[in-house]
Amino acid sequence: MSPSNIVTIRELSKEYRQGEIDVVALNNISLDIAQGEFLTLMGPSGSGKSTLLHIIAGIDRPTKGICRVQDIDVTKLNESGLADWRNQNVGFVFQTFNLIPVLTAFENVELPLLLTRLSAKRRREQVKTALELVGLADRSKHLPRQLSGGQEQRVAIARALVTDPKLIVADEPTGNLDSSSAQEALSILQLLSKQIGKTVIMVTHDPKAAAFGSRSIHLEKGELTN
Amino acid sequence: MTIAGFIARNALRNKRRFLLSVSSVAVSLFLLVTLQVALRELTNPINDEGSTLRIIVRNKVSLAQPLPARQLPTIERIPGVAAITPFSYYGGLYKGDEKFTSFAQFAVDPVRALDLLSDAKVPPEQLKAWIADRTSAIVGKMTADRYKLKIGDRMPFTGQIYPCDLEFKIAGIYEGTADDRNVMFHQKYLDESLGNPGTVGTWWVKASSVEEAPLITERINKAFANTSAEVRAETERAFQLGFVSMWANIKILIGGISMVVVFALLLVTVSTMSMAIRERFRELAVLKALGFRRRELFAFILAESFGLATLGAFFGAGGAWLLYRSLDMPKLTSGMFVVFEVTPQMLALAFTIAAVLGLLSAIAPMIGVARTSVVQGLKTLD
Amino acid sequence: MALPLRYSFRNVLIRWRSTFATVLGIALVVFVFVLLQSLAAGIEKSSGNTGDSRNIMIVRKGSTAESASLISRENLREIQYFEEIARNERNEPVISADVLVLANLPRVNNNGEANVLLRGISARGAELRPQVKLIAGRWFTPGKREIVVSSRMAKRFANFGLGQSFKAGTASLTVVGWLDGGGSAFDSECWMDADECRSLFERDLYSSFLVRPVDEAAGAKLLERIEADRRFKLKAEKEEAYYQKQTMTAAPIKWLGGFLAIMMSVGAVFAAMNTMYASIGARTREIGTLRVLGFRRRSVVAALLIEGALLALIGGVVGCAIASLWNGYTTATMGFETFSEIVFEFTVTPRLMGEGLIFAVIVGLMGSFLPSVRASRLPVIDALKSV
Repeated sequence: MSPSNIVTIRELSKEYRQGEIDVVALNNISLDIAQGEFLTLMGPSGSGKSTLLHIIAGIDRPTKGICRVQDIDVTKLNESGLADWRNQNVGFVFQTFNLIPVLTAFENVELPLLLTRLSAKRRREQVKTALELVGLADRSKHLPRQLSGGQEQRVAIARALVTDPKLIVADEPTGNLDSSSAQEALSILQLLSKQIGKTVIMVTHDPKAAAFGSRSIHLEKGELTN
Repeated sequence: MTIAGFIARNALRNKRRFLLSVSSVAVSLFLLVTLQVALRELTNPINDEGSTLRIIVRNKVSLAQPLPARQLPTIERIPGVAAITPFSYYGGLYKGDEKFTSFAQFAVDPVRALDLLSDAKVPPEQLKAWIADRTSAIVGKMTADRYKLKIGDRMPFTGQIYPCDLEFKIAGIYEGTADDRNVMFHQKYLDESLGNPGTVGTWWVKASSVEEAPLITERINKAFANTSAEVRAETERAFQLGFVSMWANIKILIGGISMVVVFALLLVTVSTMSMAIRERFRELAVLKALGFRRRELFAFILAESFGLATLGAFFGAGGAWLLYRSLDMPKLTSGMFVVFEVTPQMLALAFTIAAVLGLLSAIAPMIGVARTSVVQGLKTLD
Repeated sequence: MALPLRYSFRNVLIRWRSTFATVLGIALVVFVFVLLQSLAAGIEKSSGNTGDSRNIMIVRKGSTAESASLISRENLREIQYFEEIARNERNEPVISADVLVLANLPRVNNNGEANVLLRGISARGAELRPQVKLIAGRWFTPGKREIVVSSRMAKRFANFGLGQSFKAGTASLTVVGWLDGGGSAFDSECWMDADECRSLFERDLYSSFLVRPVDEAAGAKLLERIEADRRFKLKAEKEEAYYQKQTMTAAPIKWLGGFLAIMMSVGAVFAAMNTMYASIGARTREIGTLRVLGFRRRSVVAALLIEGALLALIGGVVGCAIASLWNGYTTATMGFETFSEIVFEFTVTPRLMGEGLIFAVIVGLMGSFLPSVRASRLPVIDALKSV
């Protein structure tokens, strides 16, 4: 357990019931993720890769095991503690972008900052920086439906990094994008890990997307295979 | 952007639905206020300043039973009685009316009646003319305006209760009472037309002070106990409440309907709110993932439903208030409703109901949001 | 080609959760409408139910109500010997000179006071009104201050039990029997002897005469004769016709029912529109598919209109069902003609229910018209693209 590890996972299991059947989503997984890594999680559908991502991001809970992010065991936090923790430490990127349709690009990025104590001026600056980083400073007044899919996903990435989180988690971020838009989005994620030192964890089933990562791990039937 | 801006933006995202929901709340609250106003008008009769001093003496059998005219000197002598006049409801049909005349006609003693109707204002020369001519009458301004009557005009009536038809010459027009509709004429004229039967409808008595009024009613009642015409003397207020009691189940009915209206209202708002939230389940999950706490999401939902209901109340109750203030209700309802006033209490009631509505309709969506985990929420389709 | 009815019907069923509130809302509108109209119908039924087709009622000219009419004893003396009037086996003319007195009496449970109509009848009074039956006790004996009260009023007024006495003014009257008017206006009356009534309440004059003519022709002749004779200043008409006109009290209730129904239905139309818009919004793709399959715009509009109408119809049926629970329930209010308490029953007629259902369907159609037009106007491609 080196000090540069940002995520430490030990003997993590997740079971749930689907109708009459008990499903094992994760089986006794141990994993370390280093600061600044761009980790890709791969595997077929139902392998448990998304579940693992959700647990690390603090939106799902394991049946047993430890998942420590820096010094905090996220499995021990209560609902509202977890909400605060997510706000400060995790940035999300979804497959379907999930921007709020009534808000402009700028306002969508600003949304997580409403939970902080930052002044309006500071918020504006941070949103601007984030949008510049994804190359969409000129689109800040646009509504999601006025943007292309690739642009929407880049706004979503800006939203994920605007709070300056330690972790950026992405669940199939290129699943709904054409290949050139996918390239753009992946390059930005790569840039974040390489140049700013963000830890990026991405679930994908596309080997080309995985190639952007610094390390790739495979899951199958809830277990690590390599 | 602020949190409040975010909430407003969300509420207005489906403008059509928002408009429809606010309108249906508004219509229902408008109706509720209207029912309350009507109920008040029926059960809470008009009062003016003089009414606290007025005592009405009627036959104990019922209002329809006449009183002997010879009771006058006995009542006059009772301590505390400041003035007295016969007050007989003539109940005639005005020329042209088929079944129902919207104003009442009372036979009174013109010299003393004005003492009792202290709120009524009549120019002195008109009063003099009225007293001088026993076939003349004074008419309330509302009735005079409605039928475009002026001094010197004649008003023919067909007797309904009394077997005589009467015609009055208008000697004056009064105003200033709470209900300026009635026609007042000479009791003597009625007596003569009936062949002097020696009866009157009721006595109206003025008490010398408000404090003494209950004592005086008791004295009058006692004075005629065990005579052939026992009386019931009561303050004007008690007399009017007696009338209200006769409405019987209709009062309960209107109250019940108001409840149904409120309930229907609740249903509509509840369903709209849950529709609005169900559509947004995924978004709420995203907000949760971004770090918004459950109670912050609750606050969003509450603020939205609360805002919707309050806006409905604003337009519904406020609209009723404005409308009934500007409409000429006596004219529109041919005299059935006169005051038709929306009181502050009714507005308060409407807004309270709206507030409760906002709270109640937020409950189901809040439970839904609380129950759904982020992962489940993200899986739901739009 | 039209879409099958099943399509509309199943859509109503599948979305029952989201349509539930709308259906119930429409049900409440129909409920209020039917209930209030059933009150008015009850008053009309009780008036329309009153009287004997053979009888003729005589009141003072100019009086719209019997209770406000006054007729002298001289008139009685003269009219009772008219040859048009039938005679019974003892050769007495079948005529009842009635006197009506309003008595202000306390209700049961200290629930305020109300006017009760006391009818003094002559010896022939009861046989002239065969629809009135004595259901408990016995008829009054003249001169003993006895009275027979309506059994329905007995439930509402204090001391109306058999053997009990109540005071009307100075007079104390003993209840010796209960009458049943069979759902007529007589259910709101108390009967005693006419002359006793006149002396107790110091009434010189009678209120009305009720007579039985020898036959139809004699009746027509009697009507003419009384109308023509200027000395009398009286008005004669068929008893049934007189009572049928005594429905003034029903008018404002009808008006209130109509007003409430219209106002509430405006709210219900908004609610139905909301539901239909939401339902169509969720089905954009499906509607696009239908269009691709070759269904025309008007088929889509028709299917959605039928869906809205069905939805409202279910609400209407529920509303009628709730309202019909009140059918036959006895209630009371102040009658405008007599100023006395009148008892009557909520009367939910098939016709009223039919009106309620038509009303519901109109609300449903109005609520679904705009949404269905909108759905049919969606460009097919857009509809298919939407997720």
